[in-house]
Amino acid sequence: MKSHAIHFAVLVGILVIGISAFLYAYGDRSMQLTVGILTSLAYLAWGIIHHALEKDLHWRIVLEYVLIAAIAVVLLMTIIS
Amino acid sequence: MLSYVLILLVFNLGLRFVHREYPQVLGYAIDIRVDQLLAETNAKRQSLGLAPLELNTQLSEAAAAKAKNMFEKNYWAHTSPDGDTPWQFILGANYRYTLAGENLAKNFSDSHSLVEAWMASPTHKDNIIKPGYREMGFAVVNGILGGEETTLVVQMFGATEGLALVSSGELLAVSPKQPEIPEQSASEETPVLAQQQTGQAGRTTVLSENLTSVLKKPLLDMPTVTHNVVFVFVGILMGVLAVDALVVARRGTVRLSGHNIAHILFLCAILIALSSVPGGSLL
Repeated sequence: MKSHAIHFAVLVGILVIGISAFLYAYGDRSMQLTVGILTSLAYLAWGIIHHALEKDLHWRIVLEYVLIAAIAVVLLMTIIS
Repeated sequence: MLSYVLILLVFNLGLRFVHREYPQVLGYAIDIRVDQLLAETNAKRQSLGLAPLELNTQLSEAAAAKAKNMFEKNYWAHTSPDGDTPWQFILGANYRYTLAGENLAKNFSDSHSLVEAWMASPTHKDNIIKPGYREMGFAVVNGILGGEETTLVVQMFGATEGLALVSSGELLAVSPKQPEIPEQSASEETPVLAQQQTGQAGRTTVLSENLTSVLKKPLLDMPTVTHNVVFVFVGILMGVLAVDALVVARRGTVRLSGHNIAHILFLCAILIALSSVPGGSLL
């Protein structure tokens, strides 16, 4: 349970850094898109590592995180580009 | 989940197609005027105790030449694909500067939101509040850029202090101080835009001859439609994930899946980021 809380704290840290970098790149759309894609990849990596450590990693779970990250990237492209 | 991605992709592509083919139906509602830009920019300077800048005809001519050049050569950058810098346009308008700067923007809906966006960007704000500037010029031009109808705003700053003291013979010998270009140079984007020139030949690049304002009101405003649809979409997705998590927790169902709470946290972060994106682009 404690490790679970630590994992989610790491996730929140990744998202806070991602939002901060996104806001810092205000006005530079290509940089904001890059930050968004990197944050999505970091989220995907977090999901895979988290489930690997929880010993329940399965390809369906990887696919779920890939699709959520893909939705985020398409949303960013829709608004930013 | 895959269907969500496909729906989004179809929406994205459909939006671009309708905007490209029917800009009078789905386009950018625009009300940008030079007098408003001048007043808003000077209001920002005066709020910081700086002297207001005067509108300079030569700088406005340089801004207009730069905007036309961007449409004709189809690029969105401070330096043209041929290597033309903003300073060449300023000197071409016979403005002998000691200090100069340039802010660019495209597809903003109104003068106020544009100046606010410039002020929110550190490098553009630096230009607006630089004490050394004495004059500025604007061009607001509508045309076709990258295959899409675009409204460009070029803002040029300058000062000629000290030049009046030298004779005209010496004037040509004065080497302009290296102007300060906003750091986010768009030179990396240039090749992409250059590729888009294919197929653009024959299309009118500059749609407006009036360079002091652009007023447009399409049936549907592109940024409003996009924001509304995207936010409703994410709201529904987050709602589905929340209900799913609740049902699974109540029933004590054991299943192999990711964490819905993590997905919701991630989508919240994306929503926060998207809500900060300004209506247009800056450079």
